[in-house]
Amino acid sequence: MTAGDAHARARWARRGDIALRVVAAVPLGYATASLWAMAIARLLPGDRAEASVTAALIALALCAIAAMWAFAARSGWRAIWTLAAAAGVAAAIAWVSIDATGRL
Amino acid sequence: MSKGFRQSQAFLHTWSGLLLGWILFLVFVAGTIAFWREGLNRWMRPEIARVEQPMRVLAGSQAFLARKAPDAKSWFIPVATERTPGAQLFWVPQPKLGEERGRGRRGGRGRGDTQALIGADGQVAQGRETRGGEFFYRFHFDLHYMPVIWARWLVGFATMMMLIAIMSGIVTHKKIFKDFFTLRRAKGQRSWLDGHNATAVLALPFHLMITYTGLVTLMALLMPWAVVANYTDERAVFAALFPTATVVERTGRPAPLIDLRRIAVDAERRLGAPASFIEVSDPGDAAARVSVSQSANSMLSSRTPRLTYDGVSGRLVWRSPAPGAAAETAGAMIGLHAGRFAGNGGRWLYFLCGIAGTLMVASGLVLWTVKRRERLPDPTRPHFGFRLVERLNVAVIGGFPLGIACFFWANRLLPVALRGRADWEMHMLFIAWAAAALTAFVFRPARVWPSLFAVTGVLLVALPIYDVVATDRGLFASLAIGDLMIAGIDAAISVFGIAFLLLARGVAHHRPAAKRVRRARAATASKVPEPAE
Repeated sequence: MTAGDAHARARWARRGDIALRVVAAVPLGYATASLWAMAIARLLPGDRAEASVTAALIALALCAIAAMWAFAARSGWRAIWTLAAAAGVAAAIAWVSIDATGRL
Repeated sequence: MSKGFRQSQAFLHTWSGLLLGWILFLVFVAGTIAFWREGLNRWMRPEIARVEQPMRVLAGSQAFLARKAPDAKSWFIPVATERTPGAQLFWVPQPKLGEERGRGRRGGRGRGDTQALIGADGQVAQGRETRGGEFFYRFHFDLHYMPVIWARWLVGFATMMMLIAIMSGIVTHKKIFKDFFTLRRAKGQRSWLDGHNATAVLALPFHLMITYTGLVTLMALLMPWAVVANYTDERAVFAALFPTATVVERTGRPAPLIDLRRIAVDAERRLGAPASFIEVSDPGDAAARVSVSQSANSMLSSRTPRLTYDGVSGRLVWRSPAPGAAAETAGAMIGLHAGRFAGNGGRWLYFLCGIAGTLMVASGLVLWTVKRRERLPDPTRPHFGFRLVERLNVAVIGGFPLGIACFFWANRLLPVALRGRADWEMHMLFIAWAAAALTAFVFRPARVWPSLFAVTGVLLVALPIYDVVATDRGLFASLAIGDLMIAGIDAAISVFGIAFLLLARGVAHHRPAAKRVRRARAATASKVPEPAE
């Protein structure tokens, strides 16, 4: 393998890593923030409309934080699985809660 | 803070800022101008007199609607103030049997049939047809020539990128406050970076506020999932968040509508603040209802209280309950974004911060090319991506202001009798902008930048002169009658025109510092890593 090959390979690895981070930041970041919006809206006590508004306000900031994390994580794959795990936790909370008490 | 974290955020800042920077530039420009939306609504209708007696306009509106649409489903009457060109009213006709009882404003009929502008004397005002300042307000989030839902998603996405760019920009910037006091002029890349930092940090609280609250205004569209988690029917949450008086069925028994001025006076006394909007349902029927909203100019939150009266007896039948804490917070954020609560001084502050934001976006976009020009393998033949960004910068940053100048000129020059005149004013903006963009892609940027700025400057400087010469609403006439809003807009347009001319001269005389000299200097002087941007 020549030095040129190694260089080209490193460049493609970097591009692949960035592509993974973009996937983590945009579609996955939005999905994670949205699922947390659902989970928080279920967990907050009191009036349902108020809980929904509070959760949506928080979720907007979560979107930005998820994108920052996607680029701060050690690797693109790590960004993907950590965000997917966070989304999974939120989905479980929302699903269990809706299943238990239903929606208005 | 680790170096790796900062570097990752610098990368994110650069690319999130670049990819939607052009849209953000448009949104910033239009939003900044829209803080003077009401003033422009008047400035673009120079033949319409200033409102001195709002109650006279209200009485005229009621008389007009009673003649024109006595059996409408509902009337919508804004309360005129000295900031408005009169009352732009509209009405919804009674739905025909079998037709759905929608509240659709367009209802299958032309909008022109169901709206009218009542002037200061209480008569229908014969003004030129124009969108006025409303154009900038709408363009700010609806863009143009595209379905509004797409536009709002696009603007919402760009706004999220902006929030990410701001947050990662703060992280990136280690010497944020020290650099704020540093402005090295005529030093190429350093100057652009200093300018970008200064306009960003100067108004940083504003940028963060305006970006986040901007997302809140689009929250129902962008983040509906919090509602989905708690409600099966979206209408239920709207009913909970925006309660209204119980709807009464039309009786079919005619009964005269009370004088709306009496209701307005009573509502303003109860609210302790000016009213801004009156909605009458089933006028002329025994079941008529009149709802009055408090003016958003009088309070921070956009969730203005509402009162509903019996339209025949004038008895108060309903009062909107105080919103909950979360709804009030969201309302206050939207109010903070729109700045309607601000008086003229506050609007100036919003306007100046908006200009800082516009300059921040523009300097960031230019900085991307300045920084990379140095590192190009062959600066005489840059690669495609570089050329695309460079030309798009010229087309958008140089071209859009030129389009706006043409929009204002179209407002002055298009014949009053032209069919679809208001649309043609807007078409002129986009035609001029398209022409400017074309020149940006045909000629060298170094020539197009100063030409576009110069043409914009000349067009803007000439506008107030035209107003003095050709209309009876020139700067001096407005000052003479104490109409500071109109005079202020003429003066501001002159200042912007002069600024564009100076900019054109500066750019035309600009010679990028010789590359080798800087390389050599950089090698000796700058061992310290530069703050990434």
